[in-house]
This record gives sequence, C-alpha cells and structure tokens, in this order.
Amino acid sequence: MTNLQVVTIFVNGRPIAAPVEAHESLLDFLRNKAGAVEVKCGCNQGDCGTCTVLFQGKAVKSCLVLALQAGGKEVKTIKGFAGDPLMEQLQESFVRNGAIQCGFCTPGMLITSYAFLQANPSPTREEIRTAISGNLCRCTGYKKIIDAIEEIAMKRSEKGPFRPSPSTYSEGQEEAKGNYLLLGGG
Amino acid sequence: MINSEYLKPADLQEALKFAHQFAGRARFAAGCTNILPDIHSGKLKECVLIDISDLKELMGISREDNFISLGSITTIQELLNSEIIRNEAPVLWEAASRFADPVVRNRATVGGNLAYGSPASDMSVPLLVLDAIVCLQSKEKGIREIPLRGFFTGPGKTVLSPSEIIVKLKFQSLPDFKFYYAKFGKRNAMAISVASLAVGARLGKTIDEARIALGALAPTPVRAWKTEEFLKGKRIESKVLEEASELLLSEINPISDIRASREYRLELARSMFFRALNQITS
Amino acid sequence: MELKVIGKGVPKYDAWGKAKGEVIYADDFSMPGMLYGKVFRSSLPRAKILGINTSKAENLPGVHAVITYKDVPRNNLRARFGQGTEIGAQFEGLYRVLAEGEVRYYGEPIALIAAETLETAEKACDLIEVQYEPLPGVFDPLEAMQPDAPQIGEKQNNIASHFKIRKGDVEKGFSQSEVIVEGFYQVGYQDHAYLEPESGVAWVEDDGTIVIRVSSQVIEHFREVAEVLDLPHSKVRYIGTLIGGGFGGKEDITVESYLALLAWKTRRPVKLTYTRKESLLVHSKRHPYYMYYKTGASREGKILAVQAKLVSDAGSYAALSPWVLLYSTVDAVGPYNVENVKVDAYTVMTNTPITSAFRGFGAPQVNLAYESQMNELAKKLNMDPMELRRKNYLKQGETLASGYVYDRQVPLDLLAQKAWEALGPRKESTKPHTKIGRGLAVGMCSYGRLTFLHDTSRSYVRLELDGSALIRCGVPDVGGGQGHILAQIVSEELGVPLNLIKLHVTDSQLTPLAGTTTATRQLYMSGNATLKACRELKQRMLKKAAQLLGVKEEDLEVGEGRVFMRSDPSKYVALVPLINRMSGDGEELFVEAQFNAPFSDVPATEIIEGRTHPDFTFGAYAVEVEVDEGTGKVELRKIVGAFDVGKALNPILVEGQIEGGAVQGVGYALFEEMPIKEGIIQTPSLQEYLVPTSVDVPDVEPILVESGTGLGPYGAKGIGEPPIVGIAPAILNAIDDAVGVRITSLPATSEKVLMALKSLKRSK
Repeated sequence: MTNLQVVTIFVNGRPIAAPVEAHESLLDFLRNKAGAVEVKCGCNQGDCGTCTVLFQGKAVKSCLVLALQAGGKEVKTIKGFAGDPLMEQLQESFVRNGAIQCGFCTPGMLITSYAFLQANPSPTREEIRTAISGNLCRCTGYKKIIDAIEEIAMKRSEKGPFRPSPSTYSEGQEEAKGNYLLLGGG
Repeated sequence: MINSEYLKPADLQEALKFAHQFAGRARFAAGCTNILPDIHSGKLKECVLIDISDLKELMGISREDNFISLGSITTIQELLNSEIIRNEAPVLWEAASRFADPVVRNRATVGGNLAYGSPASDMSVPLLVLDAIVCLQSKEKGIREIPLRGFFTGPGKTVLSPSEIIVKLKFQSLPDFKFYYAKFGKRNAMAISVASLAVGARLGKTIDEARIALGALAPTPVRAWKTEEFLKGKRIESKVLEEASELLLSEINPISDIRASREYRLELARSMFFRALNQITS
Repeated sequence: MELKVIGKGVPKYDAWGKAKGEVIYADDFSMPGMLYGKVFRSSLPRAKILGINTSKAENLPGVHAVITYKDVPRNNLRARFGQGTEIGAQFEGLYRVLAEGEVRYYGEPIALIAAETLETAEKACDLIEVQYEPLPGVFDPLEAMQPDAPQIGEKQNNIASHFKIRKGDVEKGFSQSEVIVEGFYQVGYQDHAYLEPESGVAWVEDDGTIVIRVSSQVIEHFREVAEVLDLPHSKVRYIGTLIGGGFGGKEDITVESYLALLAWKTRRPVKLTYTRKESLLVHSKRHPYYMYYKTGASREGKILAVQAKLVSDAGSYAALSPWVLLYSTVDAVGPYNVENVKVDAYTVMTNTPITSAFRGFGAPQVNLAYESQMNELAKKLNMDPMELRRKNYLKQGETLASGYVYDRQVPLDLLAQKAWEALGPRKESTKPHTKIGRGLAVGMCSYGRLTFLHDTSRSYVRLELDGSALIRCGVPDVGGGQGHILAQIVSEELGVPLNLIKLHVTDSQLTPLAGTTTATRQLYMSGNATLKACRELKQRMLKKAAQLLGVKEEDLEVGEGRVFMRSDPSKYVALVPLINRMSGDGEELFVEAQFNAPFSDVPATEIIEGRTHPDFTFGAYAVEVEVDEGTGKVELRKIVGAFDVGKALNPILVEGQIEGGAVQGVGYALFEEMPIKEGIIQTPSLQEYLVPTSVDVPDVEPILVESGTGLGPYGAKGIGEPPIVGIAPAILNAIDDAVGVRITSLPATSEKVLMALKSLKRSK
C-alpha cells in the first residue's frame, strides 16, 4: 500500500513539489522528482558520499535523509552555486590540479570541501584530508583533491602563495621540479 | 514491499502520542543514518516514521550544577562544536571525532546511536564511563531515568518500550579523572568498531577509582566491573596490569564475525587496555 | 624540436563539465516512455533448473515484459577476441545471456523484467517462481581441478586453460643453486568498486536499430549484442557515456544484452542500473590465485632457476580468465633475466561469480609472489634486497622468460634507486609499541593488447575553415583523459589551440572504432592513430604552404596558428587562409587513419614462446610503514612510485594514474577482502568491502622517468595499469622489515599481521 504525501523542497532556490512515499530518501527525490541528476547514487546506503548535498547549510549524505524531512527546507546541489566565489574557486582548483578523473565523486566532494572551508578558514593539510574521509574516490588516490582544496584554503587565509608538493605540476611550468628524469633517447 | 507512514509532530507531546498510537511500528526518525539503510536493505519493512528532527525539547547541550545535559537529537558534530563537551567531557569528544565520517556526523545523533542498541555503539562507550543517565519518556510510563549501564539488554535490544523516546542524557563532568579512549576499526574512517575502549581513572598514590567501558566485545556495550573493583587501591605495576587484563578478558565475550575473529578481539582488548593504563598513569 | 602542448599538465576538456555536475552519466539519462529493467537472479550457486514460472510476474500490472532464455534468439555465444579473429582453441569462451537448464553461480541471471516503475519491476522479481534441483557446488579451484570433481562448464575437465613456460632446464638450475627459497602465496578477490554502478538505457529507433547508451569500456560489443538478438551488426549501436570508473569491470558485457532484449521486446526505452549490492555480489572480479614458487640462486645472488605453479579461480564462466592467465604466465618471473624457468599455470572453473579483467590483468598476482620471493632470497643470502635485484634485472637485449627479446631500455635499477632515495633519511619509531620498516618492489606490466589479437585503432581529424578542429574517435573515456589526450596531440601537431578543438567520442557508428579502453592501450593505439591522421594532414598543409611561400617543405614548421619558416619566422602563411586555400583547391581537409599494433600468431600449443605484447612498462615502489605490534595495524607513512613512462604527454594525468593506482593497490594489499562461503560473497556493501578512504593513505609521491622509448606517441609508454603492480609486495616487504613477519596472502589485515607476530613470538 503506498501512502503518498506531497512535499515541497527548495532545490537550488526553486520550490519543487512532488508526492513521495514516507520512506523515500532525499536522494531519490532529487534524482527522480526534481531532475537533479547531478546528485549521484553510488551505494544508496551512506557508504560512499557521492550523494552529498548541502542541507540546512551542512554537508549531508542525501541517501540518509527522508525527503519528507526536507519539506519546506533548502537543499543545494552542485548546480546551486552559480556566482558563489568560494565554489567557483574550488571548482577551478579541482580542474586545474587534476583532482577530477572519472568525476563521479566530484559533485559530492566539492560540496563537502565547500562546507568544510566555510567552517574552517585556515585548515592544515591533515585536517583537509580528514574532512573528505566520508567521500570515497577510487580514481585519484585523494592527493590531487587535497592539493586543490589546500590551494584555495591557503589563498583565502592569506598564508602566502601555494607551494605545490614536489610532484604537483601546474600549467605553464616548463621545468619539472627534480622528479622528472630525461634519459637520452632509446 | 515497504509499508511506511510519515508523521511530523509539532512538539514532544504529540510525538509521544503518535508513538503510543502506533506502538510496535513507530520509529523515531532524526538523523536516519540507521533507519534508511535498514529500510533499503529490507530489514525494516513496516514503519511509522515519527520525525523528531526539529523538536526543541530534544535539543541542546547545557550544564546544570554538576551535570551536563545533552538533548537526544544532538548530532555528533554538535558535540564536536561544543566547548562544554570539549573541555568537560573529553572522552566523549574523542569518541565523537572517530565516529563514522565528517558528513555522517552532521546528521547522526547521540540518542539515535544509543537507541539502535548496537554492541558496537560508539557513543555508548564514553557515556558508560561517564555513568550517564538516560531520560526516557512515553505516554504509558511517563518520565523515567535509567542509568546507561542498565540500558542495553542484548544485540540491538534496549529497555526502551515500543513507544518510548530518549529525551536527553545527563552525566557529571569528572574534572579529577584522567581519560583514555581508543577505537579500533578496519580502516581509519567510515568504520564500524571492531573493538572500542574508554577508561577513566582518578589517581592518587594508587588508582582511587577506575571506570572501564568496552564496545563491540560483548552482546552489549559493557562496563568491566570486576576489573574496576580489582584496580581500586592498587599501584600500577606489571603484575597488577597482567592480572587486571586477564580479569578484563573474562568480562567480555566477543564473537567472530565478518570484521574480526573472537581471538583477535581478545588480543585487541588486551593491547588497548595495557596502553590505556600506561597512558593514564604515566 | 620543442613541444608546445605535449608535456603540459593542461586540464582535461571534460573536467569542467564534471566539476559543474553537467555530465550526464549512464543512470542520469532518461527518455519519454522509459521503462525500468531488473535482473532476476539465481539464489543458489549450483542447481538444475527444472522449471521457471513467470506468469504471476507477467500479469502484475505495470509489467511489460518478462524474458527468459527461451526468448533470447541466441542465448549462447562463443567468445571472440580481436577484430574478426575467431579463437576457439583451448578454452571455453562461452557467453551465456540467461541461465539455461542450470545455474552455475549465485546470482546468475535467470530472467529479465521491464516495468513502468522500478518498484513494480522489483515486485515482479518476487513473483517469479523457479524450481531448482540443488547440486553440490565446487568453490575451490584446487578442488575443482581434481579429476573426480563435478563438471562445471562444458569441458569434462574444469581446467579452462593451461599455459606453460619451458626455458632451459630447471632441474639443472636448482642442482646448481646454493640457496633455494620456496613460497606459497595466496591472493583473493578484488572488486573494482567504481563509484558508478553498472548502468545504461536502450531504445529501438524507427528503422529497428537498437541503440544502447551505456557506461562501457568496449563499444565493440555491439557485435555480440547484435548476435544475441540475431540482428546484423549494423543494426546495433553503442553510445558510450563518460564512465564513472571502469578499471576493467566494465570491459565485458554488463547490462547491454539485457537492455537490448528488453527494449527490443517492449519497443520502449528501458533503463537498467545495478544496485551496489548486486554489483558487489555478481559482477566480475579480480582472480583469486594460488601460487607456488621455487627460486634457486648462487651464493653470489644470481638467480639460476625459477619454478612456478599458478592456479587461478576462473569462476563459473571463463570470460577473460584464459587471457589473464596468459599475462600471469608471461609475467611470472618478473623483469628478471633467468636462464631456467618452468611455469605451469591453470585457470579452473568453480561455482562462484565470474572473474575477469581488473587493472593489471594477472600481473599483480604474480608480482606479489616474485617480489616476495626476492626479499626472502635476499634474507637467505644475507644480501641487500636492492643489490640482489640489481644482479638479476632484465637488461636491454636480453630475453624474457617467454623467450621474447626485449630490445629497449629497462631502467629498473634507476627507478628502484630513485624511489628508495625519495624515502629520505630513516627514522625510528618514537612510540614504544610500533616499529617502522621499509620495503622495495619492482614490477613489469604490459601495455597494448596481446599481439596475436591483431589490434588496430582508428581516429578521424578534420580542420574547420576557421582554423578550429574536429576529432572523432571511438575511444571510451574512463576518466584517465583517454579522449582529452587526443586533443593535445592534435593541438601540438596542427597548431590548433586546445580550446578550438571539439571531440566526439565513443559512438560505435558515428565515430571510428578505436578499440577497447583496456590493456593500457588507448594512448598507444588511438593516440598513434590520431598522430598518424595529424601527420598526414600536416603533410598536406606543409606541401601547400611550401608552394605558396616558394620554399622547401622541410624548412617549414607548424605552430601558433601559422605555418612558418623555421629559420625566418617572418615568412609564414596563417593557418586560416591556408586551410581555405586548400579547401578551394579541392584538397581533403580530413584524415581517418588506422594504426596497427605489431601482429603475431596465436600460440600453437600451451607453451608460451615469443612475443605476446607490444611492450612493457617498468616501475618501482618504495614504501615506509609503521606496524603496531599490539594490534597488527599497518599504517602507511610514505609511498613513492617511480615509473618509466616513456614520455609524459600530460604529467598531471600521468601522476594521477600513479597516485590512484597506488591507492587502489593499497586497498588490494591491506583492506579489500571478499570472503566467499558456499559460493556466496559475504561482503555485499561498501561498509563490509572496504576501499581506502582519504585517511587510510599518505600522499603518494610519483616519480616520472622519461626514457622516450615507448611505442606510443612521442615515445610514451602506457601508464594506466602499471601503477597497481609492485605496491602490494613493497608493503609486505616493509612489514617484514619492520617486524620480521612474512605475510604470504592478501590482504595483510591487522588481524593477519598480529596473528603472524604472535606465531613468531611463540616460535622464539
């Protein structure tokens, strides 16, 4: 027996109303009723973080929120940050630092990073590493993701110019920093 | 398939009314970090979800005289953000910092973690060492206070009656105690405890008082009463430690499961206990 | 000549779309009137199917189709590899769409459902009734290879393939050895655990063509799907999406046959997405291996003989097991020069889920064994492990165990040294209960597919009249920049700025087929095809420009939007007028080029001899660990991976492969365990199957060495798979260095390490 209730959730500032079952998750609502397929479903059980959204200002795994709990409330997905300077900087940093390979963890990872930097303006690299420990990545090994976040954190806290760890390489750099060895031809 | 209903009470009284009305099927939904996976896995097929996540009566961290009071829907992250908890209940703070992962911590609640009754409950272990009291309420039984040490009755089982809610927890801050907390999981985040341990001790020339709580090592989270009694008045030296750890192992009863064998859990308990006592008494 | 775009860490063309959440992955796509598919699966690991009753399911309101094997035009296909080469000899290459008469593994697909909602499809699953006659299953390959074991597949003997290496005389070699080390190593399953589960949408066009929009590493499977449906190849089209992680798990057909059948039957679009539980329980995995090794050496440290017996678990359908076994056989001795080698490798069917491709493809398993053997040998010889390796590395011009003469540089010593040095000065543990240790391991991993598969790849490049460019290439992109790198090549060769290049990828009908994104072959194959197309176009441009400028072609260079004289850049023709002139003169401004890998013959017997792969990538890992002696927990303090990448066309992408591959290898080495009981996997969620989180690993430090000796564009070698080879034995060697225990099976969980430590204490 399906017991449907209509709920209105503000997704990226727009009210979206749809009937849902009591046990339907916010993730299901976002993907299936609000057309917000930028919120990914990797496991549907809270173990991977790909469904992370900003809910009431906090990063949450949307598969662990009942849609009805979000009634009348604000949810922001990765598409809800147009014009937001911190998010745009983070996105640009991710893109430039090679923090995006397959990209499936990226929307969730960006939201977690955004919320973290907002609450922690001057984090250490280890604190950044811990902040993303609920978001799995299977492609990058996490290093370039942490580089990308750290770069923005340092810029914001004016700790001085970002010094890449020995093996990070920025566009335009001609010389490798000692980690590249050219052996004369074959 | 799944037969579910959702109700949003305006206040605690209404929540209790709903719970009474649907006793047996009622589930208090706050962080939903256990409820939703259980629905998804088919473990929970019939439920009336009573959304308590906005109830003011269940919120807040405060101090009243000597007691620190925690609303049951306090999230793990709120514990970490609280000066009171950080300064006056560091063992609880420490456990909160190892709980699940930062994103889940934004939603998971202290009350939810206890009510779920897992033997591996991460909040139960520090709260047992703090000798917390759980304040329950329901229409049938009214308000009652149960010491946490009597709260768990078996794996996934507590003394909660079907329509009863945890309203808050309270415990004394123990400024003259030294604490130690350790959680051992199969990885460093998003890990269910394989073994967890909290020790609190008041030290003079000897151990004046010791409290030891363990998680994931018995059908419920436990206090090691015999070991605590044994350590009272003793000086820490290797013979005492040896005997204490043997006693400790007799007070737990770990199982073998997908995460670890019984034998390994016993080893972990011993190692963690040694380390705890050494650290506290150093 | 200085390269302008190649060698730069420019961002990928798909990165912004991913950062903004605008990329439409497989499950993100929907169509009007779309139905939802579900697979009904076996609840037993081995049984006869006496009857299937689907009537209740079919009659459930909202259900549009229930399909069993009877409804499948061709339910059984013989595996075909390569482009047109039918290989049937020696192994069972059966692809069975739906269970027919029997089930061989828990979760084997029995029926397909299409319904109006996912919930209805799930309900319909519960209404399907199957009459099973349970049969005793065999779950252990060592048992299954015994002569009296029940027959699992179509061969009486469960040994799906047997490969051998016979080089020199191992008996003689051992008799001359002053030191002999024997070891038995065991590795279990590894799940790809890509964050995007298997998914796709299919529909039928008005002319009857079936279109499948799917997350797949191989769009050439359109041929098999066409055969399943008994349609001409030209009537099935794959549109490949950007993939949310592949690693080999989306190399075989996953959802496509089911989608095609359901769409074809219902004439409606159908979406099918696996749940995570489904994916973990039934999709193909890395092969468990049982490996027995015997290594003999002289007192000076020269290895004189290696004997190995390898048994892998082929699962219940062979899939790519024979090929994985072949790779293991070729790699069994490692990158060392050994005169006497005897390898016997078997892959054996069992009633367990399918094992198939996973990054490394048979190389990581044997690498664990041979690099553990190396350190054990070093111990027995009382020799430094790096020194022992140095005395035995394969050198340019020497032969692999398979008899193939390796004619290029093998900078293993340099790689090992660089990796080791990067660990820095050795520090002792400051904690009373931990010990710090270091370990080294090297590895070899092929790139390019097996040469007897006669691999080819195609790419199309076109210049637009305004100087922008178009690339069309069938390459599937799993996130490593497989598509993007082609744009860098075009930009370099034709002087077109990157932001003016448009890429169309991964369409089996609209883009030239580039072959599989597997076997670390795309940069090599589609990169070379693209390079070839560019150079042809460039020739035409240079020829025309030479005419216009009245100079020789050899004096001209392309770059920055013009064709100019090298010695006098003021003499040039701008690209746009040149292109327009060429167009006006009737020249073809496009090239579709094909690149062929070296071709060899199918092995005639079980003995593997001669060339099997185009080339290999060599690497070395140095690892520092801290082992807790009270809990057995292994913390990784430092990981350094040094690889000869030939040429790093995009260093950021190359580093990303090393950093990511290392961490995936850490998972394999320490965390990822998939116990199986009576044929059923016991870890059906990501809470039980543990992949590394950010706090489980340190920053991996990649060291890129560029020998320029690769077969890829600009001398590049492949780097996709190699970083997962070497990391596990480096960790095990470091554990041994720290606390003196040799772990011989993966994963080296803390329980395993502690129990080994206790054992060691007791024996002292």
